[in-house]
Amino acid sequence: MLENEVATLIIDTLNLRVDPSSIDPQAPLFNEGLGLDSIDALELAMSISKKYGFQLRSNDENNANIFASLSSLSKHIESCRTT
Amino acid sequence: MSRHWLKQSERGSLFLIRLITRITLLLGRPAGRLLLYPITLYFVLFSREARNASRNYLKRVVPQPIGMRHIFRHYHTFAATILDRVYLLSGRQDYFNIDIRGETLLLEQLKGGRGCMLLGSHLGSFELLRSLAATHPDISVKALMYEENAEKISQVIQTLNPEIADMIIPIGRPDSLFQVQEAVELGEIIGILGDRVALDDKQVKVRFFDQTCRFPAGPMLIAGLLKIPVVLFFGIHQGGRDYTIHFELLTEGFHLDREQRWQQITEWTQRYANRLEHHTRQAPYNWFNFYDFWDETGNTPK
Repeated sequence: MLENEVATLIIDTLNLRVDPSSIDPQAPLFNEGLGLDSIDALELAMSISKKYGFQLRSNDENNANIFASLSSLSKHIESCRTT
Repeated sequence: MSRHWLKQSERGSLFLIRLITRITLLLGRPAGRLLLYPITLYFVLFSREARNASRNYLKRVVPQPIGMRHIFRHYHTFAATILDRVYLLSGRQDYFNIDIRGETLLLEQLKGGRGCMLLGSHLGSFELLRSLAATHPDISVKALMYEENAEKISQVIQTLNPEIADMIIPIGRPDSLFQVQEAVELGEIIGILGDRVALDDKQVKVRFFDQTCRFPAGPMLIAGLLKIPVVLFFGIHQGGRDYTIHFELLTEGFHLDREQRWQQITEWTQRYANRLEHHTRQAPYNWFNFYDFWDETGNTPK
């Protein structure tokens, strides 16, 4: 399932010491929850671009929603991926 | 050292910024410059926090015992650059004698069509960078800064020069750095100040003025992730209308190693801190971090 794959990508990219299955798909990724910041987001976006073949852009008004949770990020990847 | 105290001293300098900006806009530079003396004197006499903040720093750089004249000179230098900032932001570089050193270093980094990072500090005036826009209209600069600060400054900028407001990229949103990445791809310069760390920032410890000090890891992390060159920027007020800009090449770009990442970031940040210390010693009254920079609790304002 893509959600698990994205959870693993997040953990590998950011070198987090948590188990992929322990990430609540609905919990916030930024500030609270996993506590990611904008530098993590950049690094994550670079990994996503490499693995799924599309680039996250700053002018997407939905960015706040896309990055709201693991679940929303996975859905976005699903709809944009080229690989 | 309580957090309250830190906030107080920083609020004091914000008050000074607003007051001087208004006066300058109202009365012009010559009258504004005359008024700097009574304003600075009043501020230094009546704000114990302000005196403490200045003394706590000056005792590290000035070999003599710190007296009122040193503290006065410190705040007067600060006030004078705020006044000049109003002119720089409204595009009146012609007022100043600006001696620019190492500009070709910066221009060379832009030759490949990819942008670079311009890493500044709270030493002297970062707004001097505006003079670059006058001499090189083809070069575009974006400044990355905290949203709260950006908003405060934006109000001032909006009245002076609305064009500049578009140049600010607010940090702290998940997609803030996508804007930075896109700007770099377009060959633009990203300006960032590398000497203030906020509580929840990623940080590294480096040596600065013979003490261990926290610096933000962000600038070098961003540079490493985007593999862009980093050029240092120091804009020093020499008194009167005279300023000196120093551009120095820190790195042409480096590859972040997964295992060695924090050693790399610490090393590059240390090199930045070394150059910052060098220029601070050359121009000690240009240091405009008016809070306990060496405070070990890390309670520094943004």
